[in-house]
Amino acid sequence: MNEYENPWFHGLKWAYLLLVVLTLMAPVLYVMYISFNANGFGANEYVFTLEWYGLIFSDELLIGALRWTLMLAIVVTLVAVPMALLAAKYYKAADNKLFPVFLLLAPLFVPPDILGSALLVSFKNLNAVFIWIGDGLGTSMFDSWFRLSFLTATIGLIIYTIPYSFVVILITMGRYRKEQTEAARACGASGWRAFWDIEFPQIRAGVFSASAFTVILVFNEYTRTSLLKGGFDTFTTVLISQMLNTGMSPQSYAMSAMISFVAIAAIGGIIILTLIRAEALARIARGKAEPVMS
Amino acid sequence: MTFQTPPAVEVRNLAKHYGDFVALKNVNVTIAAGEYFVLLGPSGGGKTTLLRTIGGFQKPTSGDVFLHGKSVGHLPPDKRPTTMVFQAYALFPHMNVTQNVGYGLKVAGLPKAQIADKVAHALDQVGLTKFAQRKPHELSGGQQQRVQLARAIVLDRDILLLDEPLAALDAQLRKDMCLELKHLQEKVGITFIHVTHNQEEAMTVADRIALIANGDLVEVGRARDIYRAPEKSFTASFVGENNVLKGKVSDANGVSVTVDVAGAKLQVAKRDLPVSTGQNVTLSIRSECVALETVNDSNAPTDGLSMLGAYDESVYLGLTTSHLVRLPDGTEMVSRIIADADDTLPVNGAPVRLRWKPTDIRLHVE
Ligand SMILES: Nc1ncnc2c1ncn2[C@@H]1O[C@H](COP(=O)(O)OP(=O)(O)OP(=O)(O)O)[C@@H](O)[C@H]1O
Ligand SMILES: [Mg+2]
Repeated sequence: MNEYENPWFHGLKWAYLLLVVLTLMAPVLYVMYISFNANGFGANEYVFTLEWYGLIFSDELLIGALRWTLMLAIVVTLVAVPMALLAAKYYKAADNKLFPVFLLLAPLFVPPDILGSALLVSFKNLNAVFIWIGDGLGTSMFDSWFRLSFLTATIGLIIYTIPYSFVVILITMGRYRKEQTEAARACGASGWRAFWDIEFPQIRAGVFSASAFTVILVFNEYTRTSLLKGGFDTFTTVLISQMLNTGMSPQSYAMSAMISFVAIAAIGGIIILTLIRAEALARIARGKAEPVMS
Repeated sequence: MTFQTPPAVEVRNLAKHYGDFVALKNVNVTIAAGEYFVLLGPSGGGKTTLLRTIGGFQKPTSGDVFLHGKSVGHLPPDKRPTTMVFQAYALFPHMNVTQNVGYGLKVAGLPKAQIADKVAHALDQVGLTKFAQRKPHELSGGQQQRVQLARAIVLDRDILLLDEPLAALDAQLRKDMCLELKHLQEKVGITFIHVTHNQEEAMTVADRIALIANGDLVEVGRARDIYRAPEKSFTASFVGENNVLKGKVSDANGVSVTVDVAGAKLQVAKRDLPVSTGQNVTLSIRSECVALETVNDSNAPTDGLSMLGAYDESVYLGLTTSHLVRLPDGTEMVSRIIADADDTLPVNGAPVRLRWKPTDIRLHVE
């Protein structure tokens, strides 16, 4: 805090920040509040219960959806994060940076329904092409490759999540000095070994954050998933179709709250871990003088 | 020169271009095994480029590098018999000193006990035994560079490349570490190739020095020769504190050449150089070899080993004092003398004579 600043003004800034956060979070907090009420939304009496959460876990449909969501999240993370890592690595080494960064970030600026429906059309056409090739070859082997399925949903979500992972990883890579890779090579390590032993441990935090980010994005995503999924449902698509068809039930409140809890816990965990790490590093660094470097 | 064993490093017709920019043009150099070799030159001259090409961190545009007689142009750094010490930031921050030094041995797959022994020995050699458990950020700049040294010598590679290893250190520490480096090299007996733009550092450590400027290897020679008897005028201007004079040859028919410089006729040994009358040449004399004399009216400059000028000013440098003298054509010459500046100095503009011994002035034709 600037010592010449009016303390009231300082307090005001904090109050404003808090207000913004509360405004944004109030509906979510309200949903969480209702999800524990035995009498549901709008009731006069509040009775705490976990009944609605219990219902989620006894509902075959919902458990199935949860399983699909988790699978989708895991597969997308396992593919998108390594791809983003590679992209960030090559981006740092590239001479011309503008074009690759445009390509990688472009999916961020395409509205979700447009990206989703564009992919939908592409997959339909691709599917037709593959069936036609199969017919020509006298095989039905290719017929289902691009029929809407887990694969198409995965592809759509990878395209959606890669920019986020890329940016997060690139930021953690910013502090890495390439001299260390060269030193490792001079010690006899191959390029891959140098990356794995020296660079990766230093950007691991970024990779983990990107993974958590990706899982949350997949959990929360509705538009692209619902357009591109095959004959299955994710947690979010079930929730939204329920809301659209039958309105909010106490169970829907519990589902919404659960998704929020997961997301907040994941992001909160990352922030707290990062803060603890930064504090620990700062404490060590404070003890010792900075090395002489010019 | 013939070698029983092939030289440690042989660079042949090496060129390196960055796009249109030529960082190295046609460099040839041979470095014997066990030599302490220094690449010295002004900033941007191409020293780092040459060193990194030898180490395999950069591909030459043309030309070839031979290490122990084998062409290594196609090999990455980890497949070459070289290792490297960097200017800074090259320690692995997430590993402690022991792990840093042992990293190359771990990569090579040595058993743990053997790694521990070798690391302990290397740390002992650089005087860091007490710091074995520290992380890099808990070390001073000098200690960090020692860790890099230990990490390099522990590998028993026979060529060690050092790119400005002392540049990040303060002057006193740099002096101390120069000597340490020299002694370390004598102890381990491998070839050191050391890049620096600091000539004192170069003179301290080098068996031989190569002068590199503008992508050219200007001159190679023993440290003493480079200092005392530079072949090229660039060497004279870069190493030591030389007076460099431009003049025209007026007589080249004897063992000595007569050169007109600022109205004076100077004598200089020809050393079998190809000179002819009327040619523009350069002369160099180290400032500490130039004596300053006050002039009485009868003195005329006829002996060819002195010049007249107007006294300008003195600069007190502690050990020595530099006297600046302006020649009739405006050129400034320096006479550096070990003496206190308190002695009565000529007044500004007073006529003075600069004198030197015949062996101290050198002719350069290029
Ligand atoms: N990657 C690069 N792309 C373009 N030009 C480069 C590159 N690396 C070096 N250069 C240029 O090549 C020339 C030689 O560079 P080099 O690093 O070899 O110089 P140096 O002698 O080591 O200088 P210093 O003493 O400052 O380290 C410089 O003019 C530099 O600008
Ligand atoms: Mg350099």
